[in-house]
Amino acid sequence: MSMTHQILAHAASQVSALAAYAQTSTAAPTAPTFWMPIGASTISQGVDYTLDVINWICYVSFALVIGLMVWFVIKYRHRTGDKFRTDYPHHNTPLEITWSVIPTIIVIGIFVVGFRSYLDIYTAPKNAFDIKVTAQKWAWSFQYPNGAISDDLYVPAGRPVRLVLRSSDVLHALYIPDFRVKRDIVPGRYTYAWFQCDFPTGQPGKSPRDPNAKTVTGMEDPAQAHRLSCAEYCGTGHSKMNRYVYVLDEASFAQWMIDQSQWMDKIPEEELYFKAGPKIYARCQQCHSIDGALGIGPSWKGIVERVKAYPFVGEGKEYGTWEDYVRTSVLIPGKYVVPTYGNVMPSFKGQLNDKAIDAVIAYMQQLDKFDPKNGKLKPEFDPATGMKK
Amino acid sequence: MTTIQLPSPGAISDTIEARPESDNYLTHTRGILSWIFTLDHKRIGVMYMWSVLGAFLLGGTFALLLRTELLTPGPTITDSADTYNQWFTLHGAIMVFLVIIPSIPAALGNIIMPIMLGAKDVAFPRLNLFSYYLWVTGAILCIVSLSMGGFDTGWTFYTPYSTTTTAGGVIPVLTAAFVLGFSSIFTGLNFIVTVHKLRPPGMTWFRMPLFLWSIYATAIIQVLATPVLGITLLLLIVERTVNIGIFNPSMGGDPVLYQHFFWFYSHPAVYIMILPAMGIISDIIAINSHRAIFGYRFIAFSSIAIAMFSFIVWGHHMFTSGQSALMNTLFSAISFSVAIPSAVKVFNWIATLYKGSVSLTTPMWYALAFLFLFTIGGLTGLHLATLSTDVHLHDTYFVVAHFHYVMMGSALIGMIGGLHHWWPKIFGRMYDQRLGTIACWIIFIGFNVTFFTQFILGSQGMPRRYYDYQPEFQIYHVISTIGSYIMAVGFTLTAITLFGSLVNGKKAPANPWGGRSLEWQCASPPPFDNFAKAPRVGDCYDFTVVHWDPKIGGYRVDESNDPEVNPAAQGTKAAH
Repeated sequence: MSMTHQILAHAASQVSALAAYAQTSTAAPTAPTFWMPIGASTISQGVDYTLDVINWICYVSFALVIGLMVWFVIKYRHRTGDKFRTDYPHHNTPLEITWSVIPTIIVIGIFVVGFRSYLDIYTAPKNAFDIKVTAQKWAWSFQYPNGAISDDLYVPAGRPVRLVLRSSDVLHALYIPDFRVKRDIVPGRYTYAWFQCDFPTGQPGKSPRDPNAKTVTGMEDPAQAHRLSCAEYCGTGHSKMNRYVYVLDEASFAQWMIDQSQWMDKIPEEELYFKAGPKIYARCQQCHSIDGALGIGPSWKGIVERVKAYPFVGEGKEYGTWEDYVRTSVLIPGKYVVPTYGNVMPSFKGQLNDKAIDAVIAYMQQLDKFDPKNGKLKPEFDPATGMKK
Repeated sequence: MTTIQLPSPGAISDTIEARPESDNYLTHTRGILSWIFTLDHKRIGVMYMWSVLGAFLLGGTFALLLRTELLTPGPTITDSADTYNQWFTLHGAIMVFLVIIPSIPAALGNIIMPIMLGAKDVAFPRLNLFSYYLWVTGAILCIVSLSMGGFDTGWTFYTPYSTTTTAGGVIPVLTAAFVLGFSSIFTGLNFIVTVHKLRPPGMTWFRMPLFLWSIYATAIIQVLATPVLGITLLLLIVERTVNIGIFNPSMGGDPVLYQHFFWFYSHPAVYIMILPAMGIISDIIAINSHRAIFGYRFIAFSSIAIAMFSFIVWGHHMFTSGQSALMNTLFSAISFSVAIPSAVKVFNWIATLYKGSVSLTTPMWYALAFLFLFTIGGLTGLHLATLSTDVHLHDTYFVVAHFHYVMMGSALIGMIGGLHHWWPKIFGRMYDQRLGTIACWIIFIGFNVTFFTQFILGSQGMPRRYYDYQPEFQIYHVISTIGSYIMAVGFTLTAITLFGSLVNGKKAPANPWGGRSLEWQCASPPPFDNFAKAPRVGDCYDFTVVHWDPKIGGYRVDESNDPEVNPAAQGTKAAH
């Protein structure tokens, strides 16, 4: 191979690499800046542009005001005992009107720019894909049109998504910084938020917050998933209401919805406790420990014995069986509140079906097989069979 | 018909200096009872001052606890999120209701305002003492609420969290805020009547120092807005105790209604905090530049304009609350209108430096720090008044940084500046200005390290009121916490400087900075009854008659060339 040939080949590969880079860079969210995190939604550029405009107005005004201040202080510095200057102006009406009118024009300009990008944020397109969001102390629940429910938010890429927000207790706010989306969730009324993200993040094999999780293709870095937070103060677990948003391409999203709606159906009854239990417990662990530690609600450790010992559980009593008590507590939490604890648990009616409640009950019975730190099966058990390795 | 006795040239200062030195308002009567039952505005103001400073120490301690907790994600010094939530609630409630709102009007305003006006006292001295004891009652109720289980609602008491939380101290603290509201209303009422009715002959509206204008504008807001807070808190108490659904949707109420009521007071309350500080800064800058304030009328009217606008912008706290798009748009547009009088004030202050004779005294350093911090605080308000950027920034640390720049960097720095400005007047002692200036610089640096970092934290997407956070935010939190420690050092040094002056400070002259307004014409500390006879009121921003007198180590007002005083000098005074 001649020298020229080599150089040409090298150059060609450089060009194609550059072209590939250009392609990926257009198909990726805007990079984080000093001020803003990555911008991944269709509205983020408009918001960032507005922010830039305001920032530059601020930099210039600040430099002007503080520059003049420093200059005047140095130039007109006076030391005790010196004579005072008397040649100063008392007022200057044209100047004062000018510096009232110029800021007026500037703020009108800012208002208009901000208003235009706000219209984009406020109005959801008609063809939006609806996802129902329930916020409660202190968990999120996302419900899809086919009945699937998830704790993290999964959305289709390249399609406007409208979130229908409701709260089952106090005020919350849904906040996805990378999408520049925020909306208060007000109990007693529905509110909406919408966004469209064109860049798939892929789907994790497991929760990305699990250090042992192996992510699947397209999801090399869990940080690519977008953070979703609660932004309106809601009490003890406010700062724990962080989940992730996964953006899937249309086909994977459709498949994911089907899998998600059926995930428990495929699990045989006797395997529920270790295949479904930990997943469901993840929503309970904000308040209920499994190692006896004090929490917002009673610990699940020893709960079976404790419930059986309650004087109102048993045949012919208020609750026929202890399972019956657990079921009622999940669906109507205020019916019997364990003394010294507050009546603060939200109802899980409509979110946990009978099979899920079965899984919780089975999980409570087999609690010693689970790691108290994360609620998952202890390493000495085989995750496929639940048996000791 | 009454005739006004005009004193002979220089008579005021002469008669005052002839008084026995030991007789002033601090020594006029003795014993603890003479303080507890005092009707003297200066003594009430001094009691307010110590109380407010005590509350500031408490609120500041909670701030340091918060910042220390946030050094690392997850537990740092407490492993309970509830404890953290109580800390930030206490920090906010104490700083807003017990410190900033009463700090300038009730403490410095009470001490200085009547003297500055040329009056012997406020219009209703008994009401004045009553409002102080209401403050004390509020403070005690706050402490009682702690012993009853504390409260974790945030200082905003948003429903339905505040009506459903199991924390036991919610009702006492709501009562405390209610009572403190009345303390504030009474102070405002007192000041409005005082300014209207007790101005001596010659003190026309446009001869009032700008501090009086700003206190007056503040008093109007206090009287008009605070009752709304009172009734709102009362409704909240009713809802919590007898379960009448007003704000809680599960009983048929509307939580957004609460937000409207709350911000209808609490937005104007921001101006209750900042306007008096603006007044102090106007006077400190004019006096230390030894020249007439630039555009007196523009500044005076902008105070009133800000007070008026403050009532119609509350909805900008609620852009994401579910308020309609039309309302959001209107509130955004109106909110920008507040920017204009605020900007005008800043330009006027800068123009006052122009061709002035700038003495860099400790109060002046505070005024310059105020200008710097208020400019940042004001400009970042633009981000939050703009609809689309506010959606991203609302309820993040950006908002926290913004309102600390305004409420602490401006209102509190203004208050500390005012404290240094009038300290020699109040206690008759000079403090070590070098030490005071160093403390000012340390506070200034610490403040920016703490709070500028939080702008970045917020716009990067860190929500506020978070006990725990993502590790990627840690570096900002660490910087911010270090800044808060620097500030703590600065405030400690300030305390050492001021308290030290009471022990070994030089005796203060009547007029250490070269002021022209009336409080600089009576002795330091002022006599019990302020003025033996109605003082003659000159142009309080005409510094051409103020001269440095090395013999007394202070300034002296020589009006012998003023035609009003000395008809023989007709025409010698430069006309402006």
